[in-house]
Amino acid sequence: MKTKSKAAAMFLMANILLVSSACSSGNETKSNQPSDNPSPSAASTEDNKETAAPDGKKIKMRVITITTDENRNNIMEKFIKPNIAAALPNLEVEFEPGGGGEDMANKLKTLNSSGDMPDVFWNDAGYFTPLKNTGSILDLTPYISKDGFLDKYAVPDALKHVDNGIYSLSSGADTYFTPVIFYHKDMFEEAGVKVPTTFDELIQISKTLKSKGMVPAVTPGKDGWGPKIFMLQQMIQIGDPQAMADLVSNKTDFNNPSVKEGAARIETLVKEGVFPDGIANLDYGPAMEMFTSKKAAMLWMFTWELPNLAKDETVDFFPFPSASDKYDPAQTVQFWGSPVNGYAVNGKTEHPEEAVKLAEFLAMADALYFESTGAPISLQTGNQANDRSPLMQKFVDWYNPIPNKIASFALNSLDARTSAEVSTQGANLLTGEYAAEDFNAAMNKIWGENTWFNK
Amino acid sequence: MKVLNRVFWVAVGCTFLFPLYWMLTMSLKSKSEAYDNPFGIPSSLDWLNFSEALSKYHFYTYFENSLIYTAGTIAITLATGSMLAYCLSRMQWKFNSAVLFYVSMGLIVPIEVVVIPLFQLVKALHIKNSYFGLILPYSGFAIASCVLMLYAFLRSLPKELEEAACIDGANVYQTYIRIIFPIVMPALVTQCVLIFIRIWNEFPLAFIIASKDQFRPLTVGLLGFFVNVGVTDWGLIGASMLLSSLPMIIVYLVGNEKIENALTAGAILK
Amino acid sequence: MNKYFSTKLSIFVFASPALLLFTVFCVYPLLPEIWMSLHKHDGFRNLGFVGLDNYKDVMASPSFWTAHKNTYLIVAISLLLGLPLSMMLSLFMDAQTPRFRRFFKTAAMFPAILSVTVVAQIWLAFYEPNWGLFNSILHSLGLSSWTHSWLTEKKTVMPSIGLTFLWQYIGLNAMLFYTGIKTIPKSYYEAALIDGANFVQVCLRITIPLLQNVIKYILILSTLGSMAFYSHVRVMTAGGPGDLSRTVIYQMYYTAFDTSEFGKGTAIAVIFILECLLISFIIQRYVAREKLEF
Repeated sequence: MKTKSKAAAMFLMANILLVSSACSSGNETKSNQPSDNPSPSAASTEDNKETAAPDGKKIKMRVITITTDENRNNIMEKFIKPNIAAALPNLEVEFEPGGGGEDMANKLKTLNSSGDMPDVFWNDAGYFTPLKNTGSILDLTPYISKDGFLDKYAVPDALKHVDNGIYSLSSGADTYFTPVIFYHKDMFEEAGVKVPTTFDELIQISKTLKSKGMVPAVTPGKDGWGPKIFMLQQMIQIGDPQAMADLVSNKTDFNNPSVKEGAARIETLVKEGVFPDGIANLDYGPAMEMFTSKKAAMLWMFTWELPNLAKDETVDFFPFPSASDKYDPAQTVQFWGSPVNGYAVNGKTEHPEEAVKLAEFLAMADALYFESTGAPISLQTGNQANDRSPLMQKFVDWYNPIPNKIASFALNSLDARTSAEVSTQGANLLTGEYAAEDFNAAMNKIWGENTWFNK
Repeated sequence: MKVLNRVFWVAVGCTFLFPLYWMLTMSLKSKSEAYDNPFGIPSSLDWLNFSEALSKYHFYTYFENSLIYTAGTIAITLATGSMLAYCLSRMQWKFNSAVLFYVSMGLIVPIEVVVIPLFQLVKALHIKNSYFGLILPYSGFAIASCVLMLYAFLRSLPKELEEAACIDGANVYQTYIRIIFPIVMPALVTQCVLIFIRIWNEFPLAFIIASKDQFRPLTVGLLGFFVNVGVTDWGLIGASMLLSSLPMIIVYLVGNEKIENALTAGAILK
Repeated sequence: MNKYFSTKLSIFVFASPALLLFTVFCVYPLLPEIWMSLHKHDGFRNLGFVGLDNYKDVMASPSFWTAHKNTYLIVAISLLLGLPLSMMLSLFMDAQTPRFRRFFKTAAMFPAILSVTVVAQIWLAFYEPNWGLFNSILHSLGLSSWTHSWLTEKKTVMPSIGLTFLWQYIGLNAMLFYTGIKTIPKSYYEAALIDGANFVQVCLRITIPLLQNVIKYILILSTLGSMAFYSHVRVMTAGGPGDLSRTVIYQMYYTAFDTSEFGKGTAIAVIFILECLLISFIIQRYVAREKLEF
């Protein structure tokens, strides 16, 4: 009987809770959420009133941008809002919070189909295609060539989409992200191995490291992350950079012998024990942990982790070693970033000139922010470069002069389905129970059904 | 022989409790100890993991959400379900048996297979970013077993009580609230427990529909935490798991017998 | 009295809220599901009617059949291993002193009240190949050759996840069996003992036949429950490596949400609903046909 009354009390309590929750459920912004930021629109329009343009009439602009990302919110609060009125006195800008990820994509796709697109918005590879198909994205090339903004980019080619148009402006921080092999100098010394310059040496030193009880190399393998994001691309381009460049631009397929060798190299790596057991289910965090705690001697990872890893003085990096004389790490490199990620202008805006200026201002705000964090960027701000860590300096010195920069396959060649299938196939390859031939056959079929290039 | 038998079964019983031990010890280990000594007894008591988990992991938000989803589903399902069960068992309606059959179909279709249209429906109804986005689908799916169980319970009850109420001049609504509701209370408590266990631990639908952090229940929030924040730090993982399980463990230890009876009542009634 | 209460209005007031909820959220979604499965749909826009093409494409995909194999493996594990084991557990519980039974019942039910996320994460640590519990035990027993990378090898991944599932719900099923056993009059057993039957014979002759209805209930519950197997896979392997541990529900999610092919995803769902209906029909029709009175 006692327990019964307790349960009844629980039930009553539950009802009370429901009533109180119903009140709060309508209120979508809760103050304890980190992703929420005060709506910027009110503040910025107010600022604008103080500095009215000479003719008294301001052009209204509507902007939708990501509001769930910590970096983005910092940029909005510290770099956009304080400066926009002075920089663009003739505009009255209304910022609309777009959320992020799936929400952002759905929001823009919905606005697009109802013909209610904003003048400027954050563009992403995930929803670029439907927007472009309906003429909602402006090719910025003539505008930014004319006003010289294009010249501010260290790697202007990185802005170009496969059809040679420029659809988005970004700070270019992404273009400095490339996969490298981080390693612990002391662990290499202890095992008596040197930095490998060829693929075969890489296998050899891994065997030595393993025989000394160390895990030779780790990388996130769960859900095929490593293979899709960089490993397949690296393993192809260390044998034949041209074949990889062709694959990214859809000029070749998985019948190409050089492309096929890429998958075979991954199979070799797994079979020769370069990675630990269970690599196919290893998450990003644990992979990082295995390296930073010195259980693994090498970490195959993008340079976005470089500032963190540089804090440990034993960490150094080397580029992926070569598997044929067609590849030289000083000549070819993969870069992250997609030319369609960044601020885009609505193709149907009434004031394209002003909208482009606004997009340029926003991209520059991004650049100023990333520069202040010490990250290298492609869009030059004209400021003095910050002090860099020796490892970052080493990276920039190696990376900047490389003439042949190949865009990332994962961001620039795959529609949603192909992308998911590449993950699946890549993870299969990491199990060591899946032959490279099967991988290539499966990939060829998937590649044939890829709709990315049907534009 | 008998001792050996007993030892064997105690060992089996302990395997069921091992995770509790593991969560507890893990949550008291530092990051490096968790790797070096993953299954042993911690060398020292380190309560830092709990404070860190509480600051990094939005435990209170997720906990509150889980409570709201569970309580909301229980309230809506029991209120509407008991009314329908009352109607079917006491009122003369030519569709009685048809409705019973219709409702019992709900037992066969698992909620997982209609996630896609449910997702679209919830979006179309503009309740995706509110608590009703999960409460209403949960209730819809919980109604079938609730109605069938209460129907069986009500049918086994004598009608004298209501007849007395009827003579007193109470109308059908008053009778329902004053007479029937208290009588079916034991069955309602049973359903309450069943729905609680089901919804508190529900994962697939919440994973898709509650995509915004502020609406995530514990199950989904915990996975997000593992993936984004604490995945390398097993001490932190242990602390967050223990925190998330604690409400359920307390409810279970307090209402242990009730829950067992409730869970098994379904088997007898059908 | 019934006449007095059964006005049209009161029937409407009492029946409509539940029926509305049930219809809108439980039955209605089946219609757009069928409709969508006949169209090319990216979750956002309808890209045209394609007839049964989605069904053809889905069935031509090897992943679909891997997913079926995995799903029915889980069903087989929970029926062929899970049910007998939980039956044994319950028979054992019945034979214990009340105090020990209390402890055992509490312990056995414990995993079922934990969240799937917690259980799966704990077992991830058990299966971890480099420092996980199972491999550590095997190494310390000198059985290093028996160690596996449990969740990334083709042969071990599905049984490993299945074991986790089995472990989580075996105690719950044992409890359900035990409740059934309690309802069997003790006089039956006494009669059998006088006849000189041993424990196994008593179980076979009395307990199991009299538990038919409970067995049927648990059978349906476990079958449908294990067919909808998804959450453990999501947390432990994300369907991987590759597609090796995907279940039908996982494949449905993957197709719809990861590849943005909602038409094909819903086609999988429709096929799967038919399978569920067929299987529950088979159980109803052919297993435990006779209705027992309590």
